[in-house]
Amino acid sequence: MLQALNLTKRYPAGAAGAADRPALNNLNLTIAPGEIFCLLGQNGAGKTTTINLFLGFLQPTAGQALVGGLSVAEHPLETRRLLAYLPETVMLYPNLTGLENLDFFASLAGFRYSAAERRDLLLRAGLPAEAHARRVGTYSKGMRQKVGIAIALAKQARALLLDEPTSGLDPKASNEFSELLLALGQAGTAILMATHDIFRAKEVGTRIGIMREGQLVETLPTHSLTASELETIYLQTV
Amino acid sequence: MLILLFQSFLRATGVRLGLGFLLAAGLISLLVGRQFLDRQQRHRHEVGAAQQAELRQLAQFHAKEMGLMLYYAQFGLVNETPPLAGLSIGQRDVNPAVQRVTIRGLEAQKYDADLHNPTNLLLGNLDFSFVLVYLFPLLIIAFTYSAVSEERENGTWRLVAVQSRYLPGFLTQLFAVRLAVVLAVLAALLLLAVPVLGLPLDASLGLFAGTAVGYVLVWFGICFWVASLGKASGTNAMLLVTAWLGLLLVVPAAVNQYLLVRYPLPEALATTVRQRKGYHEKWDLPQAPTVARFFAHYPQFRHFPLPATSFNWLWYYAMQQMGDDESAPQAGELRRKLYQREAASRQLALLLPSLHAQLGLNDLARSGLGNQVRFLDETSRFHEQLRLYFYPRIFGEQPVAAEPWDRHRVQVFTDRAPLRPAGLLLPPLLLALLLAGLGWRNFRRHLYQL
Repeated sequence: MLQALNLTKRYPAGAAGAADRPALNNLNLTIAPGEIFCLLGQNGAGKTTTINLFLGFLQPTAGQALVGGLSVAEHPLETRRLLAYLPETVMLYPNLTGLENLDFFASLAGFRYSAAERRDLLLRAGLPAEAHARRVGTYSKGMRQKVGIAIALAKQARALLLDEPTSGLDPKASNEFSELLLALGQAGTAILMATHDIFRAKEVGTRIGIMREGQLVETLPTHSLTASELETIYLQTV
Repeated sequence: MLILLFQSFLRATGVRLGLGFLLAAGLISLLVGRQFLDRQQRHRHEVGAAQQAELRQLAQFHAKEMGLMLYYAQFGLVNETPPLAGLSIGQRDVNPAVQRVTIRGLEAQKYDADLHNPTNLLLGNLDFSFVLVYLFPLLIIAFTYSAVSEERENGTWRLVAVQSRYLPGFLTQLFAVRLAVVLAVLAALLLLAVPVLGLPLDASLGLFAGTAVGYVLVWFGICFWVASLGKASGTNAMLLVTAWLGLLLVVPAAVNQYLLVRYPLPEALATTVRQRKGYHEKWDLPQAPTVARFFAHYPQFRHFPLPATSFNWLWYYAMQQMGDDESAPQAGELRRKLYQREAASRQLALLLPSLHAQLGLNDLARSGLGNQVRFLDETSRFHEQLRLYFYPRIFGEQPVAAEPWDRHRVQVFTDRAPLRPAGLLLPPLLLALLLAGLGWRNFRRHLYQL
């Protein structure tokens, strides 16, 4: 569903974030439907660059990012239709309520949900009912994150890109989110998640990739490892 | 989704404040217009009544001499003020709407103006055209300078770009919502103006509204193009405020200066001097040559004999006539230059939307320089008619009482210069389209970037 072929991104010299080495170097990766791939790595290892390349916000210097077999660079509209995305910090329209924001972003993607369906989506994402009709300007980061989860759910996308999705969520909410991800995975969604949380990654991921300085240095299946073994490997790798 | 965009936009405190401010300024401008129209109407009635009373009084007082009676008698010509002038007062506050002339030398009377409050002249009127030309752009700038850049800066653009099935459509909606709100304010003010100013629902009003919409579209075009440059909100705001200053203050001042230098008007003074000299020096010259030149101008009065007295009215009015005749070249030059200035400013206005809107609105409201010049021309015709009517009665020494003075009512000049809808509407529309097109080209390059 998601595929990277020799995917490379080098920022132009002098631009922000430009370095001698490429931000992403020769990434090869395939994520099948139902698979949850967790990208681990330090800040600046190339996780967000990978996600931005799949979203089409960046143009690759070399190689290809494919979504559903289509090249992102050549078919930006079609590939984006297959994707849902949850950024590290979800920013919404502060003058609209949670329900209205969900309605707005869902209709952008071409979905019409009844009020009851929208409430249900927000509840599934973990936003308490009494917050639904409040303006988002009064929400905490975690509450906005939950609306973002509901927006991603509402799109019924075949692939999900998550960039540090649990930052700002309390442990209980993180836990609920993990269950949500597992359910989505079982329903056949391909999920790529960038995270710092090794234990969460072990819990939900089917595979784990460790990145260092723009390179995918290690790919491991999670079922054969314990969390502490994983942590040891991670610390050795980075 | 459009409804949600409207809600999100209209719930912002700044937007509500801006809208309230613009509506308040618009309402004040309508009241200013109402006052102006009331004043004009009052003057017109007063002048009409005063002329009747004065002529009756003069006819009693100078019952013996027609020449003396007409030395004093003033006849009024009113430049009709259409109700639209309440929306765009133009030069109507500086130039008199009523000319009262005697049949003596015209040039000395033509440029007599009313008394004005100099403070008002300095500040200009807060009429609707001021609100439209100066304040509407400010609100449009405030509404749109961050329309797209804010989404990028606040981080909503990421989610919007991924969710949207057609991002250019979303972009269009962002601007369409703002345009709809601004046009709604414009429509509300114009609709309110209909009962407040008693505007007839005619082609002029339609063109007036069309010109206003065209001007608003040009500003949206400018804002859209600036947004398409992909700069930060602060930079956009600075660029747009600079454009506002340039288009509304700096460039018009430069254009005005250019016109003053290119078409200087020393003839105003030259005409006065020439006219006075033409008349006054005749007192010291023999009567016969003056009268001979008068007869050359008006051969139809040749049969009136020149009385052999040291003072007679035929000689007196011949002297007055010579003042006008001898200053005619200067007067013609002045008139020609006024028309040239008008034509030149119109050409420059094709490139300057603010000037184009102001001139167009003044044209429709019959309150611009063109109307004033046509009114002066009409004053000359009116004055000539009076002379041709009264000269034979003076020279034939018709008794004052024999003249039906009550029939000499105030005349009204209605400006019927043709309006040019294409010239009014096309330039702003083309400019707005051009800016929108250039904006699209820019947006297509970076719409999907963060």
